[in-house]
Amino acid sequence: MTSRLTQEQLELREAVRELARERIAPRAAEIDQNAVFPRDVVELFARHDVFALIYPTEYGGLGGTLLTNCLMIEEVSQVCATSGLILAVQALGSLPLLLAGSEEQKQRWIPGLASGALLDAFALTEAGAGSDPAGIRTRAVREGDGWRIDGTKRFISQGSEADLIAVFAVTDPEAGRHRDLSCFYVERGMPGFSVARLEHKMGIRGSPTAELVFDGVRVPDANRVGEAGEGFRIAMRTLNRSRPAVAAQAVGIAQGATDAAVAYARQRVQFGKPIGELQMVQAMLADMATRTEAARQLLYEACERIEADAPDAARWAAMCKLFAGDTAMAVTTDAVQVLGGYGYISEYPVERMMRDAKITQLYEGTQQIQRLVIARALIAAQ
Amino acid sequence: MRIVVLLKAVPVVGNEKLVDGWRVDRSAGLEANGNDEYVLEAALKLVEAHGGEVVTLTMGPHPALEAIRKALAMGAARAVQIVDDALAGSDALATGRVLAAALAHLEYELVLAGADTSDGQGGVVGAAIATRLGLPYLSYAASIEPDPAAGIVRVRRISPTGYDVLEARLPALIAGTQLLGEPRYPSLRGIMQARSKEIATWTLRDLGIDPASVGPAASQTVVQEATPPPQRAGATVVREAPDVAVERIVAFLVSRRLI
Amino acid sequence: MAGAVWAIGEIVEGAPTRLTRELATLARQLGEAAALPVAAVLVGPDAAAAGALLAEHGPDVLAVEVDPGGRPTAAVIAERVAALVRERAPAFLLVGASNDGKDVAGILQGLLDWGVLVNGAGVRWSDRGPQVEMSVFGGRLVTQSTFAADRGIVIVRPSAVTAETAPAAGQVERVVVDPAIELAPVRVVDRVAEASAAVPIEEASVIVAGGRGVGGPEGFAVVRELADALGGVVGATRAVVDAGWIGYAHQIGQTGKSVKPQLYVAAGISGAIQHKVGMQTSGTIVAINRDPDAPIAEFADMMVVGDLFEILPRLTAAVRARRG
Repeated sequence: MTSRLTQEQLELREAVRELARERIAPRAAEIDQNAVFPRDVVELFARHDVFALIYPTEYGGLGGTLLTNCLMIEEVSQVCATSGLILAVQALGSLPLLLAGSEEQKQRWIPGLASGALLDAFALTEAGAGSDPAGIRTRAVREGDGWRIDGTKRFISQGSEADLIAVFAVTDPEAGRHRDLSCFYVERGMPGFSVARLEHKMGIRGSPTAELVFDGVRVPDANRVGEAGEGFRIAMRTLNRSRPAVAAQAVGIAQGATDAAVAYARQRVQFGKPIGELQMVQAMLADMATRTEAARQLLYEACERIEADAPDAARWAAMCKLFAGDTAMAVTTDAVQVLGGYGYISEYPVERMMRDAKITQLYEGTQQIQRLVIARALIAAQ
Repeated sequence: MRIVVLLKAVPVVGNEKLVDGWRVDRSAGLEANGNDEYVLEAALKLVEAHGGEVVTLTMGPHPALEAIRKALAMGAARAVQIVDDALAGSDALATGRVLAAALAHLEYELVLAGADTSDGQGGVVGAAIATRLGLPYLSYAASIEPDPAAGIVRVRRISPTGYDVLEARLPALIAGTQLLGEPRYPSLRGIMQARSKEIATWTLRDLGIDPASVGPAASQTVVQEATPPPQRAGATVVREAPDVAVERIVAFLVSRRLI
Repeated sequence: MAGAVWAIGEIVEGAPTRLTRELATLARQLGEAAALPVAAVLVGPDAAAAGALLAEHGPDVLAVEVDPGGRPTAAVIAERVAALVRERAPAFLLVGASNDGKDVAGILQGLLDWGVLVNGAGVRWSDRGPQVEMSVFGGRLVTQSTFAADRGIVIVRPSAVTAETAPAAGQVERVVVDPAIELAPVRVVDRVAEASAAVPIEEASVIVAGGRGVGGPEGFAVVRELADALGGVVGATRAVVDAGWIGYAHQIGQTGKSVKPQLYVAAGISGAIQHKVGMQTSGTIVAINRDPDAPIAEFADMMVVGDLFEILPRLTAAVRARRG
């Protein structure tokens, strides 16, 4: 029992655990195999108000904290990382609105996002601008009372399913680093917007990763979030709150793999006894459980500090994502090892978990970027 | 419609912790009785269709709260819990008396109960309560269709040969089954709202019941002994190909004079 | 030490049910053991005629004829029985563990304030009166219980005893009784017969049951054929009933029926506790499952590891061949 969690958080987690185990877990292998976005899971989340959790109550949300949302992502990711990502992406795409949106914008979009009627996405990355947003080429130019957006975004999770996409574009090339970007919500169906292609991926295969083309998309100024030139700041503040969600996904994957390995070790008999009685297997299980719990506790601590607007929130966000991502990769790799040949085939879930784990070391900033963020924060603080 | 759902918190089947040989430890790990969740679901649907509210009524110790909170999260408006140390070890007779006394303090058009409970397994308490309160009793319900304007309710009751359509005036007590439909999962909104819903706690004194009339001392039934069931010898495992396996099954059945 | 033992019976289609005949047999056995008078009570429009059939099992039958209009409700039966109990003061009532029987027992408890021992798998006479055996806590324990006072109601499960005719049949006494209390009326609007519901699963001596492993509604064909060949009925798990593959009347286990056949064949059933509680007291359990580690292996007598679609049809053919 985790003492830091409130009774309410425990009850919410229990409810989502039940949903995850009874309704999502039986679908997980199929979602991975078919690589089709699980609309049924979206409906399940919508029906049970899981999307609503992070939004303020005045717009139809439940006013839940970052930690509470991470608990939900962790629970769902234990059984299906793709489904956990749906929650993480919905939060990610909404963060610019929540952090910098006007009252009018919030009233316009949050009720739909909270009910699950609208899905969103977050479009920062481009082919030439991954870890370094300074490489962003997408342009937004003033045109009449609105903007005209041209460019291409790549590796956009759920970009092909979203109704509302937070797009970061250069509005003032002369403004210099970190002041040249602005954030706009592009709505699905706006002329000039199209999905160019979907990536074929190693893991999280049910979550479509899209290349999005903006060919002269005319966006009203009412869809601009924050001031012109404020985009970089919005993106960075968004990442402080979205990196823990990736960490939660990673912790969930690690826990799911640990549980699968323990269950297997209890029942698989070799040399006349369950392999769980073999010390080399025991050592792996012990390390898996310990690492997973350490990652979980770091995540929960980070969530509370970020929620409290700690000055070093960026460092905590980076640390929990770094540690949890590496943990997920190591633990799932060990889980495959515990299962031996059975771990390598799709009859058991651990090979899927291992493929899913890899992305948590890559997206929302690679592990190398997290280390940069952490180190710079340490140096700057001295 | 005002509906009272009788909700019992029971130990998880197969996971009961036994003390003193055969008494079940109810200090932790209780969940809502399966059939009670079906009637709760039916009650919530009726209220959605006809308006009104669902109140749960539970006789059970503190750990029953978890099951009560879940019922509130599913959509019950409020809950009444009868808690009294004297109640532990009560038999069906005392349970029926206490619940009937509590219902006398509530207002309702329908009382719904599960057809039986997984721990008591009797399926008699609902009928006894209805009898004490002079309510029509309709049992083994597969569907419940009230007509509040006409003051009647129709129930489809499972029978040995199909089903019976029964009709009675309101208020009535109905014992329901799994055929009423799967209980909903509580929504997160429901869970958060449940925290501000009222859970009233009533004692035997509130109900005017003499503590000596309940509990083990007043129980009309006495467990004389409890023993583990005879153990099977352990399964003979057959792993041969189908033709040989079938020969072995047939030989086994013949040896036991089953064919 | 006490008054009479009464069996409270049920009439379906003019005749006492098999369970009612078992109750009459049990009442006679207890009466002999305790040197107590025994009787059986039938309430219905055709009670005397059905009573003549029931009397073959020994006890005298109190036949309470009520207005025609089909099978009486539990309330109508209980009102009459309660009035008779007040008039003639029996000590112990045996009631069948059918839906109607349990309702009658519950109403009688509310009217008489007597204790009830439920789910009786066996009843014998002890120096404390009837001692009732029941399986509790998911089959982990078997308890023996008695009443605290010299009176009580026992709910008896099907097949707790085998119905036997007595050397000397009892007498049928037509009884006219006014209900002491009129219970709130329940009107029977319609009684609908459904072929799929008429599954005498609790009385069957052979049950072939299917679980998820049968794969779908069509998969029950091989289960049904084996059940037919063995002269048994088809059972099912909660999961497949929920999935709509087969009707609720077939469901065995928690929130379904409890059964105790001589032979239980479990095809594609893992043996989750919710199912186990409904069938573990069966005489012989044969499980057929692809997974040798399925929990059912722990409480089966024979665990056949294999594909039920390969095994069941062969087994059906072999059984038919033996029977000619």
